Amino acid sequence: MMHGYRFLLYYLWIAPHILLALVAIVMRVKRLDISFPLFALYAWYEVAEFALLFAIAVTKLIQGMLYMRVFLVTLAVSTALRFGILQEIFNNVFREHGRADAIARVLLRWTTGILLVAAISCAILAPGPTSGSLIATTAWLGRGIAIVQCGLVLFLLVFSRLIGLSLQSYVFGIALGFGVLSSVELANWAMRGGDLTESTRKALDLLTTGGYHIAVLLWLAYLIVPAKRVLQHADGPPASVEQWNSELERFLR
Amino acid sequence: MNDASIYIAAAIAVATLCIYLAARRKPNPAGAETARNLISSLDIEAFRNLVDPEEESFLRSNLTADQFRTIKRERAWAALAYVRILFRIAPEFTHFGNALQSSSDPRLVDLGQQMVGSAVNLRLYALQASTRLLVAATFPRLAQRPPLFLFEQYTHTAGLLLRYGALDHARKQYS
Repeated sequence: MMHGYRFLLYYLWIAPHILLALVAIVMRVKRLDISFPLFALYAWYEVAEFALLFAIAVTKLIQGMLYMRVFLVTLAVSTALRFGILQEIFNNVFREHGRADAIARVLLRWTTGILLVAAISCAILAPGPTSGSLIATTAWLGRGIAIVQCGLVLFLLVFSRLIGLSLQSYVFGIALGFGVLSSVELANWAMRGGDLTESTRKALDLLTTGGYHIAVLLWLAYLIVPAKRVLQHADGPPASVEQWNSELERFLR
Repeated sequence: MNDASIYIAAAIAVATLCIYLAARRKPNPAGAETARNLISSLDIEAFRNLVDPEEESFLRSNLTADQFRTIKRERAWAALAYVRILFRIAPEFTHFGNALQSSSDPRLVDLGQQMVGSAVNLRLYALQASTRLLVAATFPRLAQRPPLFLFEQYTHTAGLLLRYGALDHARKQYS
């Protein structure tokens, strides 16, 4: 049982980072790193972060508190990059739609403000870290950050759908991956805020790494799978266009 | 643990919504046909009359206050039904515009970009008009500004589709 758990944990730790390197390579090949430089940087950064932490864990050169500090510093950079990526997605989605872009920017500011207030309120109203440990304090902070990120991803997906803007396949994939990732992190940090039994801690380790794996698979799938819908109409527009025209001509007469 | 349960429920809700949105992205083969049917059912002239300020002032001067309120409410709800149709048509224009952007013909790519932008604006204006009409239905005594911007945007978007028709016709003739 223990052996199976260790195997699964190592798989969920290693495999997503190999796939993430593949995501970065596919982005380079498709030249998508020009439109999404921060996402490409994030992918390489996560791979490098994994290599560092994995080396520390395997070689057992530095352990315990120092490992935790390296983990937390890299996590902070990773979190900052995620906010940057969300901004990058917004810029790419709304940039060419003047009026929609202006409205989206105003709404984004308001949404971010409201989410920050919500996160701070939750932090104030909810009991603080049960222990003064680094993990409990990080969980307390991480929960607030996850609330803001979840809200921003939802806002992006819902608002673009509301105004009828169909996101390009890979853009939608990136946003969807972050939606899954931030929701898993919200659950993870909420649970880690309290006192945990050994089995709950192990289950949470699997939840976070599993959620990360799903997010990476989503990014890879949406990058590789072609957007069938667009290709379908590229050279042969729907036959009903002529019928549309006759209807429209009737209105414009 | 109670606090954690709330956050976990929120996390599950976010993940579920993401999955729902991903599932709803599947192509809808009836999209073009639905849009055509919606366009057929749309009587722009009747819609214009429903929000015409002159007609409204005529009704205001010829009806009692109670009658006017009732009629104004009914007209606002009817106009709202038209706006909803425009709201539903707009994404079909967006899909079509996106499809045009994959074309090898730069004129069609340009037209596609314009069509997507125009369709997004149409949707936004439809949202704005819906809000105004809801206010008009709730407070019939308030003066109502006609959603002229919506008609203009629809005409512009429809004009782009006509331009596509002309381009397509020319392409067929010369090939």
